[in-house]
Amino acid sequence: MFYSDDKKQYSVLNRRTFFLYLLKVSFFGIVGWRLYDIQIKNSEKYKTLSKNNQIDVEIIYPLRGKIYDINNKILASNTKVFDVYIIPENTKNINKSLNELNQIIKIDFSDRRKIIELSKKVKKFEKIKVLENINWSELEKIESNKFNIEGIFISQDYMRIYQYNNTVSHLIGYTNKPNREEVELPFIANMPNLEIGKDGIEKSFNPNLIGKSGQREIEVNSYGRVIREISRQDSQKGNDIYITIDLRIQKYALNLLKEHKAGSAVLMDINNGNILCMASTPSYNPNKIIQKPNKEYWDSILENELSPLTYRCIQGLYAPGSTFKMVVAIAGIVHGVIDTNTKHFCSGKIGLGDRLYHCWKNNGHGLMNVSDAIKESCDVYFYEISKKIGIDKIAEVAEDFGLGKIYDVPLPNQKKGIIPSRDWKKKKYDESWYPGETLISAIGQGFVLTNPLQLAVMTSIIASNGKNVRPNIIKKNNDFEFEKLEKYQNAIKIIKSSMFKAVNESKGTAYNSRSESTPFAGKTGTSQVRRITVAERESEDFRKKDVEWKKRDHALFVGYMPVENPRYAVSVVIEHGGSGASTAAPIAKEIFQFIKKLET
Amino acid sequence: MLNKIQNLNYLLIFLVILISFIGAAGLYSAAGGSYNPWASRHLIRLVLFIFLAVILALLNIKYIYQFAYVFFILSLLLLLSVELIGVFGKGATRWINLFGFSIQPSELIKITIILALARFYHDLKFDEIKRIKNLFFPILILFLPFALVVVQPDLGTALSIAMLGILVLFASGIRIWKFVLGFFVLILSIPLSLNYLQPYQKDRIFSFLNPEADALGRGYQLIQSKIALGSGGLTGKGFLEGSQSYLQYLPEKQTDFIFTLIGEEFGFIGTIFIILLFFLLISVCFYVSIKSNHIFGRILSIGVGSNLFIYVIMNISMVSGLMPVVGIPLPLVSYGGSAMLAIIISLGLVLNAELNANLKKLHNA
Repeated sequence: MFYSDDKKQYSVLNRRTFFLYLLKVSFFGIVGWRLYDIQIKNSEKYKTLSKNNQIDVEIIYPLRGKIYDINNKILASNTKVFDVYIIPENTKNINKSLNELNQIIKIDFSDRRKIIELSKKVKKFEKIKVLENINWSELEKIESNKFNIEGIFISQDYMRIYQYNNTVSHLIGYTNKPNREEVELPFIANMPNLEIGKDGIEKSFNPNLIGKSGQREIEVNSYGRVIREISRQDSQKGNDIYITIDLRIQKYALNLLKEHKAGSAVLMDINNGNILCMASTPSYNPNKIIQKPNKEYWDSILENELSPLTYRCIQGLYAPGSTFKMVVAIAGIVHGVIDTNTKHFCSGKIGLGDRLYHCWKNNGHGLMNVSDAIKESCDVYFYEISKKIGIDKIAEVAEDFGLGKIYDVPLPNQKKGIIPSRDWKKKKYDESWYPGETLISAIGQGFVLTNPLQLAVMTSIIASNGKNVRPNIIKKNNDFEFEKLEKYQNAIKIIKSSMFKAVNESKGTAYNSRSESTPFAGKTGTSQVRRITVAERESEDFRKKDVEWKKRDHALFVGYMPVENPRYAVSVVIEHGGSGASTAAPIAKEIFQFIKKLET
Repeated sequence: MLNKIQNLNYLLIFLVILISFIGAAGLYSAAGGSYNPWASRHLIRLVLFIFLAVILALLNIKYIYQFAYVFFILSLLLLLSVELIGVFGKGATRWINLFGFSIQPSELIKITIILALARFYHDLKFDEIKRIKNLFFPILILFLPFALVVVQPDLGTALSIAMLGILVLFASGIRIWKFVLGFFVLILSIPLSLNYLQPYQKDRIFSFLNPEADALGRGYQLIQSKIALGSGGLTGKGFLEGSQSYLQYLPEKQTDFIFTLIGEEFGFIGTIFIILLFFLLISVCFYVSIKSNHIFGRILSIGVGSNLFIYVIMNISMVSGLMPVVGIPLPLVSYGGSAMLAIIISLGLVLNAELNANLKKLHNA
């Protein structure tokens, strides 16, 4: 059954195998010739094709989300602008092109140098921005000369715009190119030219506002011209943000503040903690920061010694002065040191150790109970009771009322302030507490420092009968209740009636600012910015208007409205305003009246 | 046993390893200079399959001879089951999951076709080859897998099966006129089989046959493939320096188009070097065929060599624009387990045939 010795078959098979081998040689020859043809003979042709055919990935930048106020008014959005670019490869002489362009629109000399330097670094067909946000007449001029200037083209872009200039600038912030560290942020990822929020809401909500980048793969030839689009993934617009600010109140408050050099006004809705107004002066215009060239404006801001970039509502720290007395009184009542009948005699000063502690009223208030002491802001009464309460208990109550805290709201760079205690001083200065410091603290001076937002929160907690109100800046749809601090109920009742008297009864410190149409309650505060010398005190003119502005006292007022079932709490601080009663209280009154008008 | 290991054809093994290493380098480059995801697995497969091939080489050739038809029927059943899964399952497919491995039976069947034909002609008296009735069985062996692959539809593989059949039948010594007739039967069977196809299958076949209709798809691919090869020039752009392949011009750069990447980075010198290596490898198979003292070994070796030849010529013709783009990988270089397994195992059979070249009797074992 085995045929392997069949000679004839093997010779046939050998012939066939040889033939197949020839076939193989010839086919390999064909393929080899083909490769020679492509890789050697026509190599030059394919090499240029290879260079000409470049695939570029172009990032499609997302449109930044808008920012709205509580009534859906646009506070920040994007506007179409025109930018001028140059493509180095499209011009024989980049210097010449820039010169020609310069005759139409002035290009900064240093900018020109940068462009020329950049053109040496980037790919020849990469576009370089020459001018940003040109106006219509400039656009027209360039358009009509476009063909005379080599390498120039105009591209439409988007720029951030703030509709109300400096009205909400501190709160919203502004956008700008990321710095070296910010480029590493995960949400920037592949978008190095993205403008990102640098301050305020723009900064806190960068991840939400930015959106998602898209990209398109494009095939470009050596001139940078797009031959075809290979794939496209559109960018996703950033989310819009709705904040709790009521633009009408914000504008109104800002105008009131503008009568003074520097100050702030914070208005909160105590039911939900919504911040309706948070104005700070002096302020700045974010549009002028965004629009280049901005160097002049930027320098003017930095040189301004009132520091317009500071958001006083959360970054300004002030001794709360007499507005702190509510906290001390509540501490006294809660810890049983005083009740409504406890009286102290004010002769204008008390002594402790070898020092004298003065009341603001040099000849004294006479016999005072707690209600009168708040109404007339008697310092001696609080010196007396603070000695018995002690600084630690005062500090504890102050913190319960929201002072000395940074709130969990998306506002960057809040300043915490100081609520002093024995422990605090030990840690900070490695020194023990002196009894005299308790007295100074009891009238909101000395170490005590608060920011205006904290004072508004404190007032909200009092006005809401002890609800643990926390500020809120992002509009929420669901209603919620703050938890109630039960232990302060009784004390708050006494304090609230005293605050009512301070505004609405004669001898009350804010009696001159009372409003028939819009009754409100509150407390003035006047905080010293320097120590008053004995000589000045005796000369009796240390409160006169003609004291140098920088040496004048800060004026404060905190208050709430309406008196029954309060809804709004306010804090007003006027830097070097003289006294709370004369400058801060009237502003609070105007704001309350304005709200009342809005409501009707 | 030890004697057998000593007598293994180490030139063949060396060529397999060298070509596979060039493939791994290409895959490393295709992944942007990374072993993952392709190069590392390519090398692991190489080690595994070479081990398998050597074991296969050391087996008694009588067993391979005895089980030749069984292997063929098993792989035919695998191919059929792919077809049935395609019909009753989630649409057309070329893959089947076997013991956790994804296998493409259409690659394996080429080897078992060679085995079956080798056994058939070994058993046939030379005088009987002329008889018409003895043409029936080999044509059946070729037609069944061919038809199954056509309906997948995988025209590239179907074409390579047909060509393999033609070359093996030619090598086995059938009369030239029968050979020509058989050739026509195979050509005619294409339009015939089309009648039994679903419309979507027809569409696929026609788009395979006429890539120009899809100029931005496959036509574009071909242009880019030529640009990649041509821009490589004589010496290439250098390892990892190819721009065309990185820029994602070639969607299948790790499989069917790996040759263009190598051509771009290593130039004409690189491509000719690979072609010479394949030429040498195929020549070894032809050498073993001539050396064999039995028909089984002869047909087996020349079949395996012809199979390699078809792969190489089709792939390079395809990427250099000599023929339309049909999905055929470059053996040992392209990424893909099934083709690599089939090629290395078939070369294991050639190793075996060489060790048993002087054997006189195969049956009655």
